[in-house]
Amino acid sequence: MINRTIPPPVSMPQELHFTKADVHTLSNGIKLLVINKGDEEVCRIDLVFHAGSRYQQVNLQANAALMLMPEGTSDHTSKQISEHFDFYGSFLNIDVDKDYATISLSSLIKHFPNCIEMLGEIVRTPVYPDKELSLWSQRGKHKLLVELEKTSTLAGRAFFSTLFGKAHPYGAMASPDDYDFIAQSQLRSFHSSRIGSNFLTIILSGKFGEHEIALVEKCFGNLTKGSDASPIPNGIAVDASGRGKVFLEKPNAVQSAIRVGRILFPRTHPDYPAFLILNTILGGYFGSRLMRNIREDKGFTYGINSFLAPFRHSGVFAIATEVGVAYTDPTLIEIYSEMKRLRNEPVADDELLLVKSYLMGEILRNFNGAFPMANSIIKLLYYNELDYSFYDNIFKTIRTITSDRLMEMANKWLNEEEMLECVAGSRET
Amino acid sequence: MVEFHRFTLENGLKVIVHQDDTTPIVTFNLLYNVGSRDEDPERTGFAHLFEHLMFGGSVNIPVYDEPLERAGGENNAFTSTDITNYYITVPRDNLETAFWLESDRMLSLDFSQRSLDVQKSVVVEEFNQRYLNQPYGDAWLLLRPLAYKVHPYRWPTIGKDPKHIMDSNLQEVKDFFFSYYTPNNAILCLSGNVTIDEVKHLANKWFAPIPPREVKPKNLPKESAQIEQRVMEVTRSVPFHSIYTAFHMCHRLHPDYHVVDLISDILSNGKSSRLYQNLVKGKELFSSIDAYITGEIDEGLLVVAGILNKDVDPNDAQGAIFEELQDLPKSLNKQELEKVKNRLESTFTFGLTNSLDKAMNLCYFELLGDANMINTEVERYRKVTIGDVQRVSSQLFNVSNSSTLIYRAEKR
Repeated sequence: MINRTIPPPVSMPQELHFTKADVHTLSNGIKLLVINKGDEEVCRIDLVFHAGSRYQQVNLQANAALMLMPEGTSDHTSKQISEHFDFYGSFLNIDVDKDYATISLSSLIKHFPNCIEMLGEIVRTPVYPDKELSLWSQRGKHKLLVELEKTSTLAGRAFFSTLFGKAHPYGAMASPDDYDFIAQSQLRSFHSSRIGSNFLTIILSGKFGEHEIALVEKCFGNLTKGSDASPIPNGIAVDASGRGKVFLEKPNAVQSAIRVGRILFPRTHPDYPAFLILNTILGGYFGSRLMRNIREDKGFTYGINSFLAPFRHSGVFAIATEVGVAYTDPTLIEIYSEMKRLRNEPVADDELLLVKSYLMGEILRNFNGAFPMANSIIKLLYYNELDYSFYDNIFKTIRTITSDRLMEMANKWLNEEEMLECVAGSRET
Repeated sequence: MVEFHRFTLENGLKVIVHQDDTTPIVTFNLLYNVGSRDEDPERTGFAHLFEHLMFGGSVNIPVYDEPLERAGGENNAFTSTDITNYYITVPRDNLETAFWLESDRMLSLDFSQRSLDVQKSVVVEEFNQRYLNQPYGDAWLLLRPLAYKVHPYRWPTIGKDPKHIMDSNLQEVKDFFFSYYTPNNAILCLSGNVTIDEVKHLANKWFAPIPPREVKPKNLPKESAQIEQRVMEVTRSVPFHSIYTAFHMCHRLHPDYHVVDLISDILSNGKSSRLYQNLVKGKELFSSIDAYITGEIDEGLLVVAGILNKDVDPNDAQGAIFEELQDLPKSLNKQELEKVKNRLESTFTFGLTNSLDKAMNLCYFELLGDANMINTEVERYRKVTIGDVQRVSSQLFNVSNSSTLIYRAEKR
């Protein structure tokens, strides 16, 4: 009979091994990163532009200029373009955040040549037909109006716009009415100023050969520069972090959405790796203190977590949860008491060891396969153009961090009076 | 081609091994053949509540998550109408931890009253978060009982009423466990950096000693053919009207299953699809519209669901949907069918790049009858002809086979 009360021995990797991307340069200077890995006949190309919403003159400009690229070029209509991508079983995904705009195309290798040609066309020569713009605006407005019915959306938007201020590029939020004012000329000017070779990095991942790399050169090696004279700003002023309490009444809400947090620092900051570990202990995994306390002990919520939202020139720490309206205040009390505990009591060795092991497993999972690897490499690029030593450094910090250092981090960054608290829900219970 | 090896332990546990030495991680996926369709109609939501209780400690191991996290592992689970699926990803050197944890909770749970009390509350909050505190969140709570009158698919996995969850007791938890959580009612798949010998050794060590138990037989009532259109209207505090129309379709192993799946793709998979091009862009009736199948093992549903544009009358919108559905068999061409097959092949192939997806699929296909269906599935879609689509869509899109939920926006 085996003794089931004794856990099998476990071991942890002493070093982090991962394949690095090969670096190529296209004839117009665009950097191409190549991750050739995987067994299935598939690949993905990601175009990462310094063209996020922070570079726009009016709300929605960046978003519309990117999202409407596939809605018509000088040679093809919106319908022809979607027929083309769909027929070849490819998936086009466009994502615009504050700092970056990313266009990704996934396809089977056998269809890649057909797909990348069209991708090149929509990136180079979108015409932004008025009719498509007006349909996009109408749909966008509707979707936003539905989103704004969610307490989680209300709390999240209030959180970021209060932290940075509504006028700050990281705090600005589009309103439903903004969709009525966005014009074709604004899309064109954003495209010509930011969608250029000087703002682009390309990542190719999956199973492919020299032929596919040559196709990237063919389709993007002739992309011209964007006209924006000020290339990539080195900084963006972040005034003191918004703090205090914001409450948004949503009549008849069953749950309150809670966001508590503060402005922190970009990932280049020396405290980043240590704070990442502290965040994991607090709310960064299923067994975190917040989950154990507020879900597993009290049953106030289906889930609670804390996370670090990175920006190119800043970073945000946030705790997010939705709780039954009657549990709103008790949850907030517990959140602050967990922060206090981290400031005043050293993390026990046993818990620290557990979190270290969990995080090492996380790093391995982040490099599990071509596409997770591509995502991890894009994340390096994103925000701060970090190199691989970023992961080595995190790995090293995980192995060596002490409870004293974590307490120092908590006292430096997790003070209740420096937090912003946003709640969207109902006071009536 | 996904290569795999299969064996069955004496206690009935089926084990599948797929080797992939390009990854430092192993995925451990364990499927139990029990879902919300197996529930007592007075205890709906129980299979899902039970999934939560599986993390509340087992007979020899007081907490489940901690030792796994200590091994660098991560886990989660989901419950559907048909199955409950548990999965772990763990660095390959610590694989035995997964065997140890999962075999102990298959052996027996801790059955703690405290865990039951807390998880009841957590699940009620999940119910609130997903179904009540979201615009249109309760649509499926309304649509299922409209479409099904006797089959247990008439309630969603979360349950039809939180009261059922709150009323459940520890004896019911025990009964449920011993009726379904047994090696002869489960399928295990290991995918990743493992060898067959290693898996055989570990499966024999940890799972073989668990005795088989009698599994409660599935005597599920069969839904009779719907002969009359059903319509239900509700009014809620949402910004726009929406419509959900469900049609009864065949079961998962019926030869027409893949035909219906492709029909839903012709309707709404991708921006070039019919409903998007004609009703969102052409007629501007909807701001979003989707068609999909529930993909369930027993007879499922094909659903068309959309949010209407402002000032569009729901009756007009519904009429336009039916026009599209009736037009499909007449206007379908070869290119369009080829397109949805290509998209399907692509989606399926991308799924194979992920070891968790692979492991889940291998278990699920084994449950359906043969894990090797993972290698022949695309072929079954490829064989569908225009004639198949015409024949099946004419049967399916009958007004008398439809259940429509009109979800009206309250005037504000």
